[in-house]
Order: sequence, then structure tokens, then C-alpha cells
Amino acid sequence: MSEIRITIDGRECIGQSGETVLTIAKRNGIDIPTLCFDERVKIYGACGVCLVEGEGMPKLMRSCATEARDGAVYHTDTERVKRARRIAFELLMSDHEGDCLGPCKLNCPAGTDCQAYLKQIAQGNDTEAVKIIKDHLPLPASIGRVCPHPCEKACRRQYVDEPISIAFLKYFAADNDLFSGNKFMPEIAPETGKKIGIIGGGPGGLTAAYFLRKKGHEVTVYDQMPYFGGMLRYGIPEYRLPKDGILQKEIDSIAEMGVKFVPNYKIGRDESLEDFRARHDATVVAIGAWTSSAMRCPGEDLKGVFGGIHFLREVIEGGRPAIGKRVAIVGGGNTAMDACRTAVRLGAEKVYVIYRRTEAEMPAEKIEIAEAREEGVEFKFLCNPAQIVGENGRVKEVKLQIMQLGEPDASGRRSPVPVEGAFETLQVDSVIAAIGQYVDAAGFEAIEKNRRGVIAADEHTFRTNLPDVFAVGDATNKGADIAIAAIGEAGKAADVIDSFLRGAEVPYVKPFVSERKPEDIDFTVWESYPRAQMPARPGEERRCDFAEVNKGFDEETARREAARCLECGCHDYKDCLLIRYAQREQVLDVKRLAGEKHPNYTEERLVVIERNQGKCVTCNLCVRVCDEEVGIGLLGLVGRGFTTVIKPEFNTPGATDVCRTCLKCAQACPTGALRILFDQNGVRIPVSAKKRA
Amino acid sequence: MRRIVIGEGSCGIAAGAAKVQSALEPLLKEAGIPVGITGCIGMCYLEPIVDIYEDKTLVRRLVRVSEADAPAIAAALAGEDLSALDALTIQPDDEAFLKKQTRIALRNCGIVDPTDVIDYEARGGYEGLKKVLSGMSQEEVIDVIKVSGLAGRGGAGFPTWFKWDAARKSQSKNGSKYLICNADEGDPGAFMDRAVIESDPHNLIEGMMIGAYAIGATEAVVYVRAEYPLAIVRLENAIEQARAAGYLGRNICGSDFSCDMRIKAGAGAFVCGEETALIESLEGHRGMPRLKPPFPAQAGYWQEPSNINNVETYANVPWILTHGGETYAQMGTETSKGTKVFALTGKVVRGGLVEVPMGMTLRDVIFGIGGGIRDGRKCKAVQMGGPSGGCIPYEMFDTVIDYKALAATGAIMGSGGMVVMDETTCMVGMAKFFLDFTTKESCGKCVHCRIGTKRLYEILTRITEGNGREGDIELLEELCVAVKDGALCGLGQTAPNPVLTTLRYFRDEYVAHIEKKKCPSLECAALLRYEIHADKCIGCTMCARNCPAKAIDGTVKKPHVIRQADCIRCGQCLASCRFGAITVE
Repeated sequence: MSEIRITIDGRECIGQSGETVLTIAKRNGIDIPTLCFDERVKIYGACGVCLVEGEGMPKLMRSCATEARDGAVYHTDTERVKRARRIAFELLMSDHEGDCLGPCKLNCPAGTDCQAYLKQIAQGNDTEAVKIIKDHLPLPASIGRVCPHPCEKACRRQYVDEPISIAFLKYFAADNDLFSGNKFMPEIAPETGKKIGIIGGGPGGLTAAYFLRKKGHEVTVYDQMPYFGGMLRYGIPEYRLPKDGILQKEIDSIAEMGVKFVPNYKIGRDESLEDFRARHDATVVAIGAWTSSAMRCPGEDLKGVFGGIHFLREVIEGGRPAIGKRVAIVGGGNTAMDACRTAVRLGAEKVYVIYRRTEAEMPAEKIEIAEAREEGVEFKFLCNPAQIVGENGRVKEVKLQIMQLGEPDASGRRSPVPVEGAFETLQVDSVIAAIGQYVDAAGFEAIEKNRRGVIAADEHTFRTNLPDVFAVGDATNKGADIAIAAIGEAGKAADVIDSFLRGAEVPYVKPFVSERKPEDIDFTVWESYPRAQMPARPGEERRCDFAEVNKGFDEETARREAARCLECGCHDYKDCLLIRYAQREQVLDVKRLAGEKHPNYTEERLVVIERNQGKCVTCNLCVRVCDEEVGIGLLGLVGRGFTTVIKPEFNTPGATDVCRTCLKCAQACPTGALRILFDQNGVRIPVSAKKRA
Repeated sequence: MRRIVIGEGSCGIAAGAAKVQSALEPLLKEAGIPVGITGCIGMCYLEPIVDIYEDKTLVRRLVRVSEADAPAIAAALAGEDLSALDALTIQPDDEAFLKKQTRIALRNCGIVDPTDVIDYEARGGYEGLKKVLSGMSQEEVIDVIKVSGLAGRGGAGFPTWFKWDAARKSQSKNGSKYLICNADEGDPGAFMDRAVIESDPHNLIEGMMIGAYAIGATEAVVYVRAEYPLAIVRLENAIEQARAAGYLGRNICGSDFSCDMRIKAGAGAFVCGEETALIESLEGHRGMPRLKPPFPAQAGYWQEPSNINNVETYANVPWILTHGGETYAQMGTETSKGTKVFALTGKVVRGGLVEVPMGMTLRDVIFGIGGGIRDGRKCKAVQMGGPSGGCIPYEMFDTVIDYKALAATGAIMGSGGMVVMDETTCMVGMAKFFLDFTTKESCGKCVHCRIGTKRLYEILTRITEGNGREGDIELLEELCVAVKDGALCGLGQTAPNPVLTTLRYFRDEYVAHIEKKKCPSLECAALLRYEIHADKCIGCTMCARNCPAKAIDGTVKKPHVIRQADCIRCGQCLASCRFGAITVE
């Protein structure tokens, strides 16, 4: 052995003669991807992802099998190498039938790891669950109560019976943690000395504050209102989210982290944006969308016509707006539901919801619609205000244009078309327009807006036209959305801002993951167990006050509900080399190479190990480790070409009976194809949901 | 003395040669005319072939003989005048098939009795080995091979002397060195090696023993695919005879050189034709390629120095040793010396085994020897090198047989498969056929071959089924380059060649499939449309009666109509219509 010097990516690296390019690169901190290399076994060269280019060599070489030549120059990052590597990963992913992450997590705008925290809830570890939730979402008790839960819409349990009650379980765990006397508090990184000013204390602003403070920055949140919480406080009625009892407590936790809060502060009035920026290293604009959209029909200026979110805010602030006894709410979304149920609680005797399509097209949550009905609200579908008729300047009646459904529009819903000459008139004292909201960006003139007058922020960096100003939430791009969407943007923006402040900005890129289609999955293996219903106060009782409607799950219900999780996401996601490298090599789309895949099926073959063919990359490490390292060789390759699979040697099922359960195969597996079923104590690792006998 | 010899290679036997022999033997026994056998002369399209000899001279060659011809043959042989056999006698045109060849590797095929070492010796057999062992040094032997310019006939064309010399120089760990013959001939349509073993096994043994001496081998192994049972039987028999005659075993031909030979039957995996996979298989492992380096000359069979050549390469060696390297090198081109054997098949008039000097044009081989295209159709291309090779269009038939010249076309010399295609062959379908083969024969070890060829096959399949998409051609090209770059062994690295060469020369066919959903060669059933023209249909009902899918409606004397939704596009209607009323496009 003698010392040799080679150059890899322009860096001089020292190695020993006889060593491979891969070994020398690894030792020098150059991470060349490989899936089939393992120091314990002989070089194999199957995966083909470790290709490198050598100067003066016409062909790409497998670095795992190429003995480094003294003085040679190698490249691991040329376009040719990257292209070859990417297509190798694309090929591997095109034959990968597995879910990296659960559909719940993928469908959550904030990427909350539902599968992981449900497991903790099922096992009784609520604070551990909250710790997992707060990796993405700092307001779980509040959001758990109000979120329209996209996670549940994607939940695969719906194909067995019904989706899991993920949102309510979140609030169950968060309440338990919040009132435990020993609530979860995140670790704060060492102080960076960087100052961040956040304008707007709603879900987006609070989330940005939480994550930026966690990273050690000095964070101050400003809000034009006297209290914090934004639309969570001023747009959502008390009966759905108790403000002092829950929301403020979660904000207090953020304050305990060292975030400063400045209320009653309005940019443009108290300070110019320019001055504000000058005081901060970075500014986050999260001002929301606080203005109700107009109905654009005659009579809108009459007394007794209210904007939906203005109406809600007034009530929450303690006002008693004069809505009279008969109220019409226009709109079909959750704000309309909040408004009609609030009107009921203010003593209105007849409350109508006017919606231009049918119930099937209503964007409001089904449970909200049902609960409104229970509280006596009457729904009028397929009609729209044509005119609000007044008497003495006050609303007297609303003339409704009767509608019918026409062709589907851009949203996929059938659009309402007026039925000519068909009208109906309702006698009402007030009309509440809950048909949308828009941004009031007074004071932010220096920030560029898009066509619709909303702040334009880059979707990867969240940066506005001003280099140190970032923007998230309802005030940006697509306009008003649900709270968790603002939280998701704020969390991602916090990472970008942190990297920006540290001098090497990393834009957010949605990571590539492997996903299965529900139609490819056999759900009949699972035992059916119905979804837990949230206990609520009866309609007659709750319509008289603003106290919380939901009573919360009892412990037994919650644990059992959480245990319904099918655990769709891969157990190995965090350690999987395949996905780590596929993401690094910027594999974005494997649809173009889509073709036959090996099916995703599991078999308990090696006594204590479960094997999943859909996730196997045929690197043969399990076979080789068992043969060369352990010395027993229980496994082998069977079949040819694309049908090659790993089976007990010579496809003799009994071959693995003498397995010593050393687990080395599973440990060597670069993906989640092999899973150990027992813990160190020999106790079987429980799977929450039950399979059919 | 008059005697007859029947061609009994696998091809002859398949055509009925053994039956002819059984029919002739009792009849000729009375006349005292001996019946012998020989191997394959290469004219597969004329089998069974019966040769009539006067002593050592071939006086008449009877072709396409059947058992029914036996009495007539026996009767004619009993008399002086053989003109009664004129109808069975080979035509001058067919004789051109042999006359235009230069036979070295095949020099004894179809002439000697493959079961008899004495017959081989009578034709100068084992003279080369005796010459080598009577005083030539290893270096001198290798030098003769070097001068001859002999290159590996298995396909890659690597200089034989270089491999031999590397193995000779390589240090063995325990004193063993191995000489291996690759007889795992797997290319679809290639059967040169089988013919040599079946027809002239001693030639192979002699060639191998000369090589064994040159590298200092202690054992020689022939890896024959199990699908060649007759070759194995004849080689086993030949090995026994050679051993008995002192050409194998201890102190060969009285020299100090000792080396024995054995046969290993392969289990029928195409990839085992790849030399390192072959070694893995020899050692009892699953046939999967090893990483190179180390090359087999350094660490091959049992990690010892090993030399691997294919059958045809060794079959040239005895001739080179007896005639001299220079004589061999006089044939051929600047870069490719000697001769090459081809298995000429496909839409050609005269198909079979041909051996021609390097430097001959494709046109001379396909039209001069092969007689051109059958049924007066137009020639489209020739596919060379099997699944690893590519196609060369008719317009380029002036290309000469030469490693470099062929590689420049995108095809390869290959092991000798030469499949001739006419205008009815769909080139996309042809590429799909080969990718289907490689996909199934890939060993499954490396990602690029295991999944890459599968994806190539899937894309080709959808194109031929009318589901090709815009961008598929570019995707094919990108994948082909990736697989070539990334695959571990020759199988995968060359698997995209059939796609790349058809894309290069017949891109318009791909475009027609994808954009117009038409197969210009009318071969891709899913893209065809059969139609009955009312003005020509007289309502004879023939098509409707012949339609296996009952997809044709109509009554007698009224024009018929094909229900396209039910048509399975088998073409029966077209074939049965006597009025030209049915067309396909």
C-alpha cells in the first residue's frame, strides 16, 4: 500500500493505492450516492447510482468499483454524471411501490406528521404527540378545533370505513398537554442577534414567530388589534374556539419562548414600512385579508347590511350588532356558517342561509352545516340576492333571483345560472354578506401586488419585491385560505428566512416522495371500526350561548380512535437512502417512466423481519450480508430480468427456518423493504390498527 | 468405391435426415454401399442433403431428400448412370452458395464424419497441435496468432493474442490456469457455434489445446448451452476419442504438456454468454456478471488466470497454425483479418451458414450468396449482432464486413447473426422483439438493465399498439443513452442498439406509429384497418365465413361490411377474398 493523490471535484484527496474512488471520496466528505455498497461485503456494482466521470476516460465509471489511480482527476458533479444518476433514481422510483409519507401529512398544508402523533396518542403519550405536532404547527389546540382538516380528506382509513378524526385528536392531545402543568416547550437555539419584525399576529405571523424564535432570532410581533390571534380570534366565534381558555394560552406559550408582542400597532399610521424595515434584519408581512367582499347588488348601502367577517369581529369584540329578528346570510362557506350560528346566538328568530348552488357544492364543512341546522338555521339553495329592498333606509326584504346549475366552471363545480324571471322575496331585518374577503394593504404600498391586488410573494422564498421583506398567509398570492395554509407557508418561510439571515439562503422546494394510489391497495385486510363521534351540547342548549359546542373526546375514545391509523407512511422514511438521494438528485417526476411495478406486498419471511417487495431495490445487500458477513446464506435471487426478486435461497421457503435473527440484513437494507417486527426485548412492535383474522 | 454421406447436423435431422438414413441403409446394405454421416454444410434451406462420393470425390449432391426418395436413390446407385437422380440434384444457382465462400472455421463441416477422429486426422486434423508441441514456445504460438490478426469472434472483436498473452503472463495462485470455451451461443437466429461442435468437434478440441498450451492452462472447459444436446453428445464422444488418441490428458502428443478437457452444460441463460457471468455460472453461482477489472486473464475461474474465447475463434486456430499467421492475415481488410461465419436468416432466398472473408460487402453476402429477398419483395435492412446489434438499411449494403465499418453504422459484427428483412417487417416491432428478449434475459442485477430495458420495451409496446405519445421518441433516446452508460455488462450496454439504429435509419416509421397511428409495414395488428370495398364485393360470403371473430356482416350477393369494433385484424378476410375487394392499411 502506498499513498496516492487524486482530485475529486477539484479537491485534492489522499488515499491508499488499491482504494476505490468511492472510499476516498467518502473519507474526504464527498457524498457520492450508493445503495448497494457496504464495507462488510464484496463490491457488487448493481445500483449504478455511484457513477462518476474520470478525465480521459470515455465511459462513466462506478466509483464503488473503480480503483483510484494516482494523479487521476474525477468528477462527481458534471452534467453527464448528474443526468445519468438522476435517470438511475428515476428508474428505481418508477419501480417503487410504497408511500414515503402518509397521505394525511402530504395533504396537510403545514406537513404535520399525523401518522407519528396519532401513534403517540394511541400509546398515551400526549406531550410527545404535541412535540411532533409543534414541529410544524405551534397552535394545535386552536387549529385542532377549527381546521377543515385536509388530512382527514386524504385519510386512507376512509376506504376501510371512515377517516380518522385527526383534527379532534390533535386538540385532545394539545389540551392535555396545555393543562398538564408540564406543557411542552421547544428548545431555543443559541441567540443569533438577528432582529425579525412580524407584522400581523394571526396564525401565519404567530407561526413565523414560533419557528424563527426557536432558531434563536429576536422576534417581535406587531398587530393593529388589541389582542393577538388574528382571524382565529376575530373571525371565529367563541363557541368554536374559546379565546381566553385556549387561543390565548397557546399564544402565551409563544410569549414564554421570548417572542415580544406589540398590540395596537399599525403600519402606515404608527410607523412607515421603511422605518420598520430599518429596525429589523428581516420583516414578515402576515396581515391577512380583513375586508368583506361586496355582493354588488342594489341596496347594499342600506342599514342592516353587514359584511360577514366585520359582523363576526364586532360580536367577538363584545358588540351586539342590530340584526333584528329575521336575518339572511349570503354565502356557502365556513364564514357563512359562523355568521348564521352567531346570529342565532344573538337571538334572531329566523335565520336563512342563501346560497346560489346546492348543498353538494357548499364549501362549508359538513359538520358545520349539520350543526347549523340543529340550531334552527334554514338553508335556501339555488338563489342569490338580486336586490336588497329598504324602507326608511333600513333593510326590509331581499329579492332573490332563482338559479339553476349549468356547466362546471374552473373549480369543477357546476356554475349557477339565473332562471329568467324567477324571483322570490324574503322578509328580513338584516343581510350579512359572507361571500369572501380581500386584503387591505394600506401602508404597504412599497410592496408589489398581483393582478388581484394581493401581495405577490415568491412561492419558493416567500420574498416580496423587497429583499428583506417576506410575506405569507391570506394577504399573499392566492388570497384568503384556511388557517393551516397560512401556518404552512409561515413554517416554510421561517426556514428560508433563517437560512437567509445566516447568509446561505435555501429556497423551499416541495420534496419528491413516492406515493401509492388508493386503487392499488387492498383495504379488505383491515377490521372495520367506526370513527369516533365528537360529543357536542344539544342544539337547543347551545344556541342560547357562546360557550364551546364540542365537549372533547374522553380518554378511552381518543386512544381507540388514534389506534385506527393504518400507518400508511414508510417506517424508514428518515433513514431511507433511496429517497434521500432521489430528493438530493432532484428527481421530481417519475410519471414519464411509469410502467409495470413490483407489487407492494409484505411477507414475514425471516422470522422477525417483514419484507416488502414494493420497496425492494434489488441491491442484494440482504443476500450478500447473510452469505458473506453472517456466513449462512439463507437468501438468494430468483427469476430473471425485471422479475428478479429476493427470496429464500433457491426459492425454498424452508431455507430461512434456520435464521439466527441477527437482523443484519434489515440493518443493511438501504430502503424500507425490510422491517424488524420486534424490539430489543423481543417484544413485537405493535401496529395500531387491527387486521382481520 | 462409391459411398454416400448424409448431412446430420441438428438442422438436417430436423428436416428428416435420420429418417432418410433409416430408409436408405437397408436398401444400400445389399448393394454394399456404405452410408456415413457428416455435419452441416450450411445450406439449411436444402436439407436433408445426401452426398454421393466416389472414393474421396463428391460426384453428386442430392438435396431436399425425403424417405420416399430412398428406393429411387438406391436403384440409381446400384447402376452406373446417376442421371435418374437429376431432379434431386443440387442446382447450379445453389452451388454458388458454397462457391462464393471461404471456409476456414467451417472447412470440415459437412465433409468429415464428426464422430470419427480418424476421419478428422485424414483431413490434416491435429497437425497444428502436433506442430505446436514439437518445439514451439508459448510465445511463438501467440506470435503466430498475433500475426494472423485473429480477433474474438463472439462479437467484441478483441485481439485474441492479447488475451492469450495476458493469461500466459498472469501469475496463478495455486498453479492452475484455465482455458474456457464459450459455447453458450444465445443470440436469436445464430447457430454457428452449434454447427462447428456438431460437425467438426475435433477442430474445436485442437484449437483449444493449442490455446491451452499457449497460456499454460491446466484444464480446459467447454461451456455449452443445454439446448444443444447433439453438440454435447458429439463433443463428449470427441473428447473421449481425443483422450484415447493422446490429444488430451497427460503428456499430449508425447510432450511435457498436460491438459484435460470437460464439458459444462449451461442452464440456458443468455447472460451466461457474457464471460464473467459464464465464470460465475461455472463456479456454481447464479449467472450474473462480475465487475471488470479484474479481467478473467487476471482473476477468472476460481480467481485464477483464465482465457475465454468462443467456439468460432478456437475453430480458426488449427488452420492458422498449419498455414501460418501471414496466410490468414492475407484475407480481410486493414483492421479485420481472416473470415467470419454468419447465420444468414430471415427473408432471404438461401438461408444458412456462410463463411466469408472479411471485406466482402453486405450486398455480396445477402444477394450474392443468399440470393436476395424471397417472393420478389423489396429488401429493407439487415439486422446484425442479435439483441446487442443493430440494423443496417438496404441503402448501406455496400458496407464491408469489418469490425470498424460495421460499428460505424451503429450495428456490430456480433457473433454472426444476420437477419434479412423486407418491406413487410416493421422496424419498431423488430426493436420491440429484441427488447422483449433482453428484458427477459437480463440477469436483474443492475438497475439500468433490469428496469431500463423494461421501460424501453414498454414504450415500444405502446407505440406498436397505437398508444405512442408525443415525446416518446426523445424519451427512448434519453433512456437508451442512460442504459448504455449505466449498465454493468455488455448485455445491458448494448441492449439499446436495436432501438438506436432503427431510430437512426427508420425514424419515419416511429413517427408514423406515434403521430398517424399507422404501421407502414402493415405488421402492427393494433394499427391496421381492414375494409371491404362495396364496388368490388360481389357478396360471395367467403370472407364472412372465414372470419374467426364473426366480425363481417352481409348477405349473399350484397356487399359485406366489417364491424371494426369486433375485428381482430387477423387478415383472414383479405387472404380469402378472390375479388380484390378487401384492403388493409
